[in-house]
Amino acid sequence: MGQTTVLVGNPNVGKSVLFKNLTRRYVTVSNYPGTTVEVVRAKAAFDGREVEVVDTPGVNDLAPRSDEARVTRQLLDETAGATIVQVADAKNLRRALLLTLQLAELERPTVLVLNMYDELEERGRQIDIARLSEILGIPVVATVAPRNQGTQELIDALPLAAVPTVPDEVARAPGDEYGRNRVLLGYANEILSQTYTVARPPNPSARVRLGLMAMHPVKGVGVLAVVLFAVFWFVGLFGAGTLVDLLEVGVFEQRLNPLVIRATDVVLPFPHAHETEALTYSFGLPATPVHEVTVGSVEREVVRPSYVLDPGVDLSAVQEALRFVHDFLVGPYGAVTMALAYAFAIVLPIVTAFFLVFSILEDSGYFPRMAIMLNRVFRVMGLNGKAVLPMILGLGCDTMATMTTRILETRKERIVTTMLLALAVPCSAQLGVLLALMASLAPAGALVWLGLVVGVIFLVGWLTARVIGGPGSDFILEIPPMRRPQLSNVLVKTASRLDWYLREVIPLFVVGTAILFLLDKLHLLSAIAQAAEPLVTGWLGLPKEMANAFLVGFMRRDFGAVYILDAATGPAAVLTPHQILVAMVTITLFMPCIANFLMIAKEHGMRTAVSMAAFIFPFAFFVGGVIHRLGVWLSI
Amino acid sequence: MAEYLTCPFCGFEFLREDTLCEHGCPLGAMCGLVRCPNCQYEYPEKPQSLTWLQRVFRRPSPYTDLPAHVITVQELKPGERARVLCLGTGGPQRHNSLAVFGLVPGAEIALVQHHPSPVIQVEETELALDPAIAREVLVERVEPVAPPPQ
Repeated sequence: MGQTTVLVGNPNVGKSVLFKNLTRRYVTVSNYPGTTVEVVRAKAAFDGREVEVVDTPGVNDLAPRSDEARVTRQLLDETAGATIVQVADAKNLRRALLLTLQLAELERPTVLVLNMYDELEERGRQIDIARLSEILGIPVVATVAPRNQGTQELIDALPLAAVPTVPDEVARAPGDEYGRNRVLLGYANEILSQTYTVARPPNPSARVRLGLMAMHPVKGVGVLAVVLFAVFWFVGLFGAGTLVDLLEVGVFEQRLNPLVIRATDVVLPFPHAHETEALTYSFGLPATPVHEVTVGSVEREVVRPSYVLDPGVDLSAVQEALRFVHDFLVGPYGAVTMALAYAFAIVLPIVTAFFLVFSILEDSGYFPRMAIMLNRVFRVMGLNGKAVLPMILGLGCDTMATMTTRILETRKERIVTTMLLALAVPCSAQLGVLLALMASLAPAGALVWLGLVVGVIFLVGWLTARVIGGPGSDFILEIPPMRRPQLSNVLVKTASRLDWYLREVIPLFVVGTAILFLLDKLHLLSAIAQAAEPLVTGWLGLPKEMANAFLVGFMRRDFGAVYILDAATGPAAVLTPHQILVAMVTITLFMPCIANFLMIAKEHGMRTAVSMAAFIFPFAFFVGGVIHRLGVWLSI
Repeated sequence: MAEYLTCPFCGFEFLREDTLCEHGCPLGAMCGLVRCPNCQYEYPEKPQSLTWLQRVFRRPSPYTDLPAHVITVQELKPGERARVLCLGTGGPQRHNSLAVFGLVPGAEIALVQHHPSPVIQVEETELALDPAIAREVLVERVEPVAPPPQ
């Protein structure tokens, strides 16, 4: 018969790593509280016994006040026969014991796991595990989950799980929730005094000092600047510059596209000749935003997707059909030459670079310190520092970030953050493209863009908070210790995010390109461009081809941004710096993608999603137009 | 209600109504200055920038008449250790969210920093708090003032 084991514990104590150790199945792990927002289940075989293991969101107490506590509580109610494995941060035994004593009321077989035991010893503390086990009447196991230490001991201890013993005067203490928790904490102190010893005073290590520095009022700003610059260099310059060049020019345009075009021409013959050109690819490392150290270059004669029909030949119906399929695959709006090239050559390297940096920062424990730095600033928008985490994650993928707004406590905070994510926080794919666009602008243009986005965030955040109303929440945030990120976890996490992202992005790119292709074939593209002319040409002052960019921008704004990048720096550049800025601002303020819209609808209801979209798109065009007019007026 | 002002220059006491400017001043009533009728010294009635700064950076503690040894977390210096006496107002919900981190009356804490946000250490947990909470939690020092970090 199958058995169920539920992992329960305070936030950020390593439940998910332990889950991975027990089941060999990966779930997202990071060094900040609230990473797991949903219940994750997996089957595992312990010494031949089949067991279902369930990972739960971290809770500090069982009162169903927050979403996590509700989810966990509900799960515990559903799995009546389950063994509870309470995972504790060995350093914070008092808080863990409070939860143990609350769990004891459920009268379920329980095992207590003291995780992060190495960090406890590093700080010169000791726990008398045998005595603790004796007092509580349950098995107690010490583990170091990232190194997979103690996992077997835990599996061995599972059959020995017992209901914790709690003295009657503690278990039956009267009073309200807070009063009872105080009684429980009092008893926890008593247990601690018998089991917890401080061997030697802790000696601050370099990591601890770095952690303090990262939240220092002055040095913290310096750390923030260094971190932002490092991210900018790695994602914006190395990822969006070097890697994109390598894949876009070096792989796709120089080798893959010509190969696919020739192959298609053999399979689908009709009389036509492709244009050819000499294309130089140079490999270089970025030094400054505009300078590169060139390492080497390759010049090749390449075949371009555009072609002319042989003169004086009338295509038969069969040839027309062949041409249609040919264009669908490798034409100017081809599935290979546009959709796959955009997805793999432009979006993939940028997103990979971002997720890599993000995972490293995430695991180091820097983000909660960033929340401290920005708490007072976020107050303006009725938010507090906790909202920093979803906003930063939004720089990776807004759709993922919308899901993590659940860690915020009140509806107002969740809606305001979701709104800002959808409106003004560019996701990594878009950010990379925007950074590449910015490189073609004067630094002043980039600053205007940055100032505008930050200004819009504050203005709209403040307004939304006003419109929604309702209380904010107290800022009480646990600061995890700084840790050295583990390479394997960083890589696995990056890979799992990339996997999710590519599954999401490639179908949308192909569908988006197919729609463009069909519109082009039906000569509707020019009609739409015509219809959008008053808006695009008249109001925004852009060439009418840009209507396409906004059209695909409705589907994914990074796709739209790639389109703009092509028009700004591609072989047939048509945009002036002023127009680049206007287009950049407008596309930045678009809703990120259809997936994001659906996620908002899922989290907050269709009505909220629709009203957000109804605000965001007109607002994006409005701001873009204002910038255009300002630019004309100031004659820039 | 008569309001007496004291000139910081000559010490003359006068009624606020007596300071109304002569007609024809381009600043009109907007200048925010009062003029001593005795020595004609003009000065801002309240140091405006200062009160504004105070509003932003240092809100007064909500308590009055506390015993000398009872202070708020906001008054602790970085590195000082203290024992929590009372979690202040804010209702059972806030008390409970603090309690689950081990912050209850009787707990020993150490102040890590005030800016940009107050951070305290409860056992091995570092906890960032809203300034509003730091102004309300009452503590007493448990050690003499530690030497400031170099």
